[in-house]
Amino acid sequence: MKNKDSYGKKTKTRLLWIIVFLVIWETIAQSRTFPEAIFPSLPVIAKALGDSVVSGEILLQTGWSLALILQGLLVGLAAAVLLSSLAVRSRIFDGLVDTLTAIAHPLPGIALLPLIIIWFGTGTLAILVIIVHSVIWPMILNITTGFRAIPPIYKETGLNLGLNQVRIIKDIMIPASLPYVLSGIRIGWARAWRALISAEMIFGAVGLKGGLGWYIFKQRVFMDTPGIFAGLFVIVLIGIVVEDCVFAAFEERTVKKWGMI
Amino acid sequence: MGNDLRNKADNFRDKTVMISLQSVSKSFPRSQETLPVLNHISLDIYQGEILAVLGPSGCGKTTLLRQIAGFDKQDSGSVRMDGQEVVKPEVKRMMIFQDFNQLFPWKTVLQNVLFPLQVNRIGESDAANREIALQYLQLVELSGFEDSYPHQLSGGMKQKAAMARALALQPKVLLMDEPFGSLDALTRLSLQDLLLKIWQETGVTIALVTHDIQEAINLSDRIAVMGRRGVAGFKEIIPNLLDRPRVVGGGGYSEIYAQVYSLMDFRNENE
Ligand SMILES: Nc1ncnc2c1ncn2[C@@H]1O[C@H](COP(=O)(O)OP(=O)(O)O)[C@@H](O)[C@H]1O
Ligand SMILES: [Mg+2]
Repeated sequence: MKNKDSYGKKTKTRLLWIIVFLVIWETIAQSRTFPEAIFPSLPVIAKALGDSVVSGEILLQTGWSLALILQGLLVGLAAAVLLSSLAVRSRIFDGLVDTLTAIAHPLPGIALLPLIIIWFGTGTLAILVIIVHSVIWPMILNITTGFRAIPPIYKETGLNLGLNQVRIIKDIMIPASLPYVLSGIRIGWARAWRALISAEMIFGAVGLKGGLGWYIFKQRVFMDTPGIFAGLFVIVLIGIVVEDCVFAAFEERTVKKWGMI
Repeated sequence: MGNDLRNKADNFRDKTVMISLQSVSKSFPRSQETLPVLNHISLDIYQGEILAVLGPSGCGKTTLLRQIAGFDKQDSGSVRMDGQEVVKPEVKRMMIFQDFNQLFPWKTVLQNVLFPLQVNRIGESDAANREIALQYLQLVELSGFEDSYPHQLSGGMKQKAAMARALALQPKVLLMDEPFGSLDALTRLSLQDLLLKIWQETGVTIALVTHDIQEAINLSDRIAVMGRRGVAGFKEIIPNLLDRPRVVGGGGYSEIYAQVYSLMDFRNENE
C-alpha cells in the first residue's frame, strides 16, 4: 500500500514538472526568439509526430528497433546466465569471465563501431553484436554478484530435497538472485537502447528500415526539426514505458510479491 | 570410553541402529592453525527414536549434524546409514535448519511442499502430489495458509512449513538443528507438542540438536550431552525414560534435569 502511494505521488510530481516544462517551451517558441526551423512550437511537433504515425513510418522504424533490441537482450541474457553459472562454479572460468568483463565492460559499444563494421559489416548482425556487447557485461556483473549473494541455505536445502545441478541453477539460483538479475537487465536495456540508436544513425537504412535512430538522423538531412523532436519524443516515451510499466510491473509481480526487496 | 557410556542405555539394546558414526573427526582451517571441532566422535542413532543432542554453543552440534546430513565431509572416521557410507545429502535424511530462510521465498507454502514431491516423482500424478502436500500441511496445522508466501508467515509457521516439506518426502530421519531456537517461548512449546504428535503419527526418527535442557527432556528418548568444542566429544548419553506427556516437575523430571545440568559445560567457548 505504502509503495503504491509513493509511486502515485512520484507520477504526480513528474506530471506537474512536465507540464511546467511544456508551458515554458511553448512560451519561448511563441515569442519567436528563435526561428521556427530551430525551435518548433508544440503543435508543430505534435503534427509531425501525428503525420509520421499516420504514414506508419515512425511505427515501422520503432518496431524495427524494438525487435532488434529484444533479440539482443535475450541473447545477451542467456549468454550472461551461462557464463555467470560457469564463473561461480569453476575457479578457472571465474578468472576468465572476470578478466573478460574487466576488459570489455568499460568499452562503450560505440567505440567498437569501426571494428564491428570491419568484422561484421553494417547489417543487422553488426547491430546485434553491439547490443549484445552493451548488455552482456553489466548483466554478468550483476548476475555473478547475485549468485554469490545467495544464502547457502537455499542451495543446501535444494540438494537435500533431491534437486540436480541443472535444477539448482534454474529453480534456486535464478529466482534467488532475481533482484540482481532484474537490475542487470535494467542496466543492460538502458545501455543497449543508447547503443542501438547511435549505431542506427551511423549505419543508415538497410533497405527501407533503419530504425528509430536512422529516422531521427534522416530528419536532420531534410532540416525537419519537428520530425527530430517527434523521434526524440518516441525514444523518451519508450524509455519511460519500459522502465515504469514493463520493469516495474514485473518487479511488482515477482520480487516484491515474494518479499525479496 | 564412549562405548561404555553407550552401553548404559540398556533399554536400547534391542533397537535397530539406523545411523552409525564411527570415530568421526572434523576440523576447520583457520588463518594460522586448524580448529579441531569434532574429535573421534562415535554415536548410534536408533530407528524410531528421538535423540536430543545437547551442548553449549560452539561445541560442534551443527558441525556434527552436517556430517550426518552429508553436507560436509568428515576428515576421518565414517558416517553410515543402514550400512551405507553417507557421501552426499539425500532425501531420506532431511535437515531442518534453525534459519527461517530455508523456505523458498519465491514459492507459496503449498508450492514449497509440492515442488520437491514433483522433482522426486513421489505421487503418481500432479493431483496425487497435491493431495500429499495438502495432507502434510494439515499434519503441521498449516491448513488455510497454502497460498501464502513465506514472508507473510510468522517464524513458527515457517518452521512448520519446513517440517511439512521435509516430511512429505517421507524421510527416514529428520535432522533438526535447533529448529525452534529462534522462536518465542510459547510458540516453542506448541511446536514441541506438534513435533511429538508428528513423531507419533509418522514414526520418523529424529535427531534434534538443542541447547535447551527442557526441550531435550520434553522430547527425547535419549539425551547426548556434548562437552566443549574439540576435546570432550560426548560426555554421556542419558536414557530419558520418563512417561509421556512429560511435564516440568513430574515424576523423575527434576532428577534427570539435575543430571543433565551437571554435565553441561557452561564455560565460554573461547577459553
Ligand atoms: N564452515 C566453518 N568454517 C570454519 N569454522 C567453522 C565452520 N563451521 C563451524 N565452525 C566453527 O566450529 C565450531 C563449532 O561450530 P558449530 O558446529 O556451529 O557449533 P554449535 O552448533 O554447537 O553452536 C565453532 O567454533 C565455529 O566457529
Ligand atoms: Mg549450531
